[in-house]
Amino acid sequence: MDAKFFPQTAELLRFLPEIILTLAGTLLLVMEGFKKDEDSRSLISMLTAVAIGLAMYGTVVAYQNPGMAFSNMLISDGYAAFFRLVVLAVGLLTVLSSSAYLEREKSNTGEFYVLVLFSLAGQCLMAAANELMMVFIGLEVSSIASYILAGYLRDDKRGNESALKYFLLGSFATAFLLYGVAWVYGMTGSTNLVEIRSAIEKGVPSMTMVSAAAGLMLVGFAFKISAAPFQGWAPDVYQGAPAPVSGFLSAGPKAAAFAVMIRVFQTAFEAITPRWEPVLWTMALLTMTIGNFAALWQNNIKRMLGYSSIAHAGYVLVAVTTHSTTGTAAAMFYLAAYGLMNYGAFAIVTHVAGKGEERVTLDDMKGLSQREPAVAAMLTVFLLSLIGVPLTAGFFGKFYIFKAAIDSNMVWLTALGLLNSAVAAYYYLRVLVVMYMHEPETTEHVSTIPGGLKITMWVTAAATLVLGVFPGLVLDFATRFAVLSK
Amino acid sequence: MQLWLIPLLPLAGAAINGFTGRRTGKTVQSAVAIGSVLLSFLWVVKTLMALMPLEGPYVEKYFTWIASGALTVGVDFAVDRLTAVMLLVVTGIGTLIHIYAAGYMHAEGGYSRFFAYLNLFMFFMLILVLGGNFLILFVGWEGVGLCSYLLIGFYFQKKSASDAGKKAFIVNRIGDFGFSLAMFLIVVTFGSLDFPTVFAQAQALPVEQSAGIVTAICLLLLVGATGKSAQIPLYVWLPDAMEGPTPVSALIHAATMVTAGVYMCSRSAALFMKAPIAMDTVAIIGLATAVLAATIGLVQNDIKKVYAYSTVSQLGFMFLAVGLGAFSAGIYHVVTHAFFKALLFLGAGSVIHACHHEQDMRHMGGLRKKIPHTFAVLLIAALSIAGFPLMAGWFSKEEILGAAHQHHIWMYWLAWFTAGMTAFYVFRSIFLTFFGEYKGHAHPHESPWSMIGPLYVLAILSVVGGYLFNIPHILEPVFRGIVPEGHIEHTLTDYVLGTAPGIIGIFLAYVVYIAKPGMADSIKESFSGVYTLLYNKYFVDEIYDAALVHPIERSSRNFFWKIVDVGIIDNGFVHGFSGSALNLGGLLRRMQSGAIRNYAAWTVIGVVCILSALTVLGGGR
Amino acid sequence: MNLLDILIAAPLLGFLITLALPKGNASLIKMFTLVFSLAVFAGSLLLVGPTLDRPGTMTWVTDAPWIATPAIRYHVGMDGVSLWLVLLSTFLTPISILLSWKYIDHRVKEFFAFLLLLEFGLAGVFVALDLFLFYVFWEVCLVPMYFLIGIWGHDRRIYAAVKFFIYTMAGSVLMLAAILYLYGKAGTFDYPAILLMMESGKLALSHTEEMLLFLAFFLAFAIKVPLFPLHTWLPDAHVEAPTAGSVMLAAVMLKMGTYGILRFCLPMFPNASKENANWIIVLAITGIIYGALVALVQPNMKKLVAYSSVSHLGFVVLGLFSGNQWGLDGAVYQMLAHGISTGALFMLVGFLYERQHSLEIKDYGGVSTPAPWLSTVFLVTTLASIGMPLLNNFIGEYLVLQGAAKVNIWWAVFAATGVILSACYMLWMYQRTFFGETPDEVKHHMHDLKGREWACILPLLALMVWMGIYAQSFLPSIGASNKTVLDRTQPTGAALIVALPATAEVANNGR
Repeated sequence: MDAKFFPQTAELLRFLPEIILTLAGTLLLVMEGFKKDEDSRSLISMLTAVAIGLAMYGTVVAYQNPGMAFSNMLISDGYAAFFRLVVLAVGLLTVLSSSAYLEREKSNTGEFYVLVLFSLAGQCLMAAANELMMVFIGLEVSSIASYILAGYLRDDKRGNESALKYFLLGSFATAFLLYGVAWVYGMTGSTNLVEIRSAIEKGVPSMTMVSAAAGLMLVGFAFKISAAPFQGWAPDVYQGAPAPVSGFLSAGPKAAAFAVMIRVFQTAFEAITPRWEPVLWTMALLTMTIGNFAALWQNNIKRMLGYSSIAHAGYVLVAVTTHSTTGTAAAMFYLAAYGLMNYGAFAIVTHVAGKGEERVTLDDMKGLSQREPAVAAMLTVFLLSLIGVPLTAGFFGKFYIFKAAIDSNMVWLTALGLLNSAVAAYYYLRVLVVMYMHEPETTEHVSTIPGGLKITMWVTAAATLVLGVFPGLVLDFATRFAVLSK
Repeated sequence: MQLWLIPLLPLAGAAINGFTGRRTGKTVQSAVAIGSVLLSFLWVVKTLMALMPLEGPYVEKYFTWIASGALTVGVDFAVDRLTAVMLLVVTGIGTLIHIYAAGYMHAEGGYSRFFAYLNLFMFFMLILVLGGNFLILFVGWEGVGLCSYLLIGFYFQKKSASDAGKKAFIVNRIGDFGFSLAMFLIVVTFGSLDFPTVFAQAQALPVEQSAGIVTAICLLLLVGATGKSAQIPLYVWLPDAMEGPTPVSALIHAATMVTAGVYMCSRSAALFMKAPIAMDTVAIIGLATAVLAATIGLVQNDIKKVYAYSTVSQLGFMFLAVGLGAFSAGIYHVVTHAFFKALLFLGAGSVIHACHHEQDMRHMGGLRKKIPHTFAVLLIAALSIAGFPLMAGWFSKEEILGAAHQHHIWMYWLAWFTAGMTAFYVFRSIFLTFFGEYKGHAHPHESPWSMIGPLYVLAILSVVGGYLFNIPHILEPVFRGIVPEGHIEHTLTDYVLGTAPGIIGIFLAYVVYIAKPGMADSIKESFSGVYTLLYNKYFVDEIYDAALVHPIERSSRNFFWKIVDVGIIDNGFVHGFSGSALNLGGLLRRMQSGAIRNYAAWTVIGVVCILSALTVLGGGR
Repeated sequence: MNLLDILIAAPLLGFLITLALPKGNASLIKMFTLVFSLAVFAGSLLLVGPTLDRPGTMTWVTDAPWIATPAIRYHVGMDGVSLWLVLLSTFLTPISILLSWKYIDHRVKEFFAFLLLLEFGLAGVFVALDLFLFYVFWEVCLVPMYFLIGIWGHDRRIYAAVKFFIYTMAGSVLMLAAILYLYGKAGTFDYPAILLMMESGKLALSHTEEMLLFLAFFLAFAIKVPLFPLHTWLPDAHVEAPTAGSVMLAAVMLKMGTYGILRFCLPMFPNASKENANWIIVLAITGIIYGALVALVQPNMKKLVAYSSVSHLGFVVLGLFSGNQWGLDGAVYQMLAHGISTGALFMLVGFLYERQHSLEIKDYGGVSTPAPWLSTVFLVTTLASIGMPLLNNFIGEYLVLQGAAKVNIWWAVFAATGVILSACYMLWMYQRTFFGETPDEVKHHMHDLKGREWACILPLLALMVWMGIYAQSFLPSIGASNKTVLDRTQPTGAALIVALPATAEVANNGR
């Protein structure tokens, strides 16, 4: 098809979320320049929330106008919509829980929100990318914003360190991705996923080179989803970054990365599935194992959640490995569910940690059930969901993933994965133990939970339980759109 | 005929005393206890009157107890002449002993508890003899064991008492182990537990010359019997059972419960007759027990212990009879033994009562004058057990000796010799207790009439019980067609020969303990080795402890629990797994140095692996 | 929506209501939970009649869609076996609540709430007819018990609670894998449907598949039973758990394993069940003897009773795999009997603990003197648990052994030694606790049973006697249900015909 100089309206509509986010980001940036007083801050956060809300609406609009945009660089389909909504939801939760946190940490400046918006824009772009350049751009936009967010508390050493780590390793890995993209282009003469597929099917000079290219790109994605052996940064960053940001990073960018990874490997590299399947198989197993077993030792809850997020990436990788529609659907459901429960967990950590995130070790949770029963109860929900106890979203997440794995005869991977989740139970239980089975040590009065954070907790907790009883609410969409990833 | 009333009455008595015991007085309690048993006795009599002549069994089926698959076990009571005899003995003697106990226990605490237990025992004992199938019999069988446990350990503050109770229960459990296995085999073989069904089928089977299924069943039943009836190798609990109050020893450990084994074997005659090997085993075990116990009885000083071993020995006689196929002779001895042994124990009780709970005969003597009534009745009992002509014991013993004579002559002579020993040790006890000078410190006094009365009744029975109830004749229809016909003809010589050991035994006892005082000690000196062996009951208890009890306990504690369970399974495997998980975790965690250099290194390694994997896999086309 | 559904949902509702009650008002919370659970029990009694009419088939069936993809249905129903197990749960819950009236003095609300949540899970496990639903309830039971042990237990409660959780989890994940695999083959979680497919050959498992699936299910159940050598979580859990926890754990939760074997392993994998029967029976008998021997030397009452449970449950497994009517009936009867008598034992040990705050046998002695009734009741319970005729356990043990003997007399021979040993350890404990001189320590603390305690124990005593004397109230229904299982395990021509009504039932009541 011939590209016009001016894009058609439909194309713009398909690009609406990104447009909204970027505009809002820019406006707020400008606004931040003029107003510096307290109330404007809360205004800014409010506006951000509104912007994200609009972006969600934009997503719906984009979904109602399915199709390609900008000479097939973007695709607006249900699959994209699904992930856009997931990342936007995570972003919204982040904004809700952040403002009070930033107040507490005396650094409630507008940039934070702006960065969140840009990062979200990048993630949405990834979700909708139909072409390797878009993939790369989206990835970079979201990443660079994330790097800064990770070190947002300027005078917090841990934060800075983790940000630096994140940045260096991130760019290192992205380099591989870009290199891979170049190779693919060289091999197939295209960066469009569909064209790459057909090119490979038609036959390329060297299948080995294509596979190598795929490998290089896999490295890039693996880093973003913190899959072994590129998981190293995750615990450090989640521990060092501000709690709300850790939550954001563990849910949003990861989901987006998975979205694009699935699309790339199931569309562009479908022909060489037999080559990458065993690699992913191994990677999934390694990731689960490293995440879960290393987590057994952690006493710092943020770090523990960091490892747990690695493990969960491993579970999702199992779903990706199946390269089946059910597998993709399972992955989509899981990422949504994981976003909810894990962000919820981080939200509670945000609250419990207190000023300067002093109190983030297990001992600090002692007797929480008696100091703040509701909070403890909600954290229990999240943890049980992370363990995968029935009647929680997390259970169905695992359930669908391993069902998909069984369907594609990955019996061993299933067995090992499930045993893994039994091991995982141990470190989650440790938190329950200290919350419920130890008497509180501090008798200090309970700090009230700021509204936004409270909403975040309750919403995520409720959602975790609802999805635990009626997973269909999300799964039905996932199954409908999963097929589109091909 | 409301057979169910027979056991239910004592049960009611037990319930009343058990629940209201704390509020009512001793008079009421004893009245309830005695009354319930007496009523049950009267009901037995009335029923039997109505059922006469009771050629075949009369059965009452109440309700299905267990029905599973092909097996249906009902709560059935059945009365035939065998049961009738047992019913009369149990309720009759039971009543007398209850009356006696009312007096004997009057000074004791836990009066109501005692009678509740005693009545409960009556209930189970009656279930045992009334049971119309093996399982109901087993119910009574276990029940009497329980009551025996409770009553032996009646003085539960005393460790020795509770130990004895426990021992009795557990040893009996070992017996019941055999019994239940026998039942399983019966069901597997005959598909039922009802006596008529099983025995009818058994009748049809050929006699097993070599060991077969029926032999197995009978031997297992025998195991049960050796437990309940204190035969080798399970007799060890009975002597200790003397820890219980004397009326208990009389009722349970002399007259009724311990004869249950004999009853059960006779009841299963149809099976045993098909298994000659089992029969011989029964006979040999019985005879061996008779001899062993008698020899031990010779040298015991505790008057109750003497009678306890005597009981074991007499039970041995009964089993000898059963083993020889002279079932009715066995039951005959059960009956007469019930009379004179109950009397011996109650008499002994009266003596002990008189001497303020002194049981050691060496601290008695010369009581003839002080407690004449007791002396009189005990003398009668002694004559009866010694087999003095025309006493009750004499008749049954003659029957047994006759049976032995017919089968194996060596058995006859052993039995003969044992009968002599019996006479000797019983009269030894009489002489030590009632003759010579009183060596105790208490002031002996005659017991109240509530105790003496029953003694006289028993005394009369011990004398005339023999002719009064000609058991072999009564039981004739029960064993008709099962045991080959042909009554043993006793010639005069048989009688003379059979009577001899009793007389000799009495005479020797007289010589040793009256005529030539001190002779006993000189014998003791000259045969000190044998004496120690006998005095310590062949060290059987010690051997059992060393060979079974301690090894089991020690291995359980030191091996199974501490090593296998805690050591291997829990620490080894369970903690082993979790431990290795943690170690692996520690290892992986160490990958997480936090240094960017390492992460970069890992990344590179990862890249290399992935690339090589991707390119190599699929043959690098 | 029938009575059964209401009764399943009720405890969950009660749980939520309890959470909503004011934290401070302990007596209100206790009262509410007690009354509520009593109401549930009363309701569950209404289930009996209709089920007894057709015990061989599924009654009170509800089959409603729950989750569209994959097709997971809320499919429940009860036959003659599940009926009694449900009743056992609903019956013991109010008793456990009453039991904890004084014993639980801190964090009252959570405790009683968790008891109701546990009841919800238990009731569900025994009626679920959808493999997935079963797994859900199975896991749900785990959580409240974990907290009951972990929060209100004794010193090493946390260790015990975590051990309990992980142990069970490890087993159940493999079961989940097996369930998923079956779904992959059958395309449904609906249990009767799967059975029908197997009958009609639509769903054929290769020999290896059947073996592995059987093992996956069996492992999960064996851990729960617990079958030697997977039992080591039990003593810890029991010793540390609060009285009510021990009661529910021993009386009902252990039965989840044996029930699972009976309901799922045997009918779904008849061949594997047969081929594995031998070594499983060997383990069961080992457990019987081993458990008894170890119980013999336990210095701690609860540990002793816990090991006795290992021994008793060995009988159940033995019966289940003897593969004949006697064995199965005996096994189920033993499940119920053990529930009652061991529940009562833990209860009574709890009473002693509330008086003297010790579980060590050596700290007691001569209790009979100050507390005659307590000792009498304890004795009756002891006798029940050692299989005294006319009390409940006897019938179960007898039938199990009879069933074993039918297959191989030597199994009966070895298993029956457990009956001897049971007398040894129980009576020895009884002697050391209740007989002998009364130390001043004991004299000072010990008092006889109080009204509330009578209210707890009397129903159990009554049941011990009832089950011991009039087994026919229970056996026919149990037998009928077991027959359907047997018809599947011994595939005869009749198998299909017998199988059909059970599922035709589903079809009718389904929508």
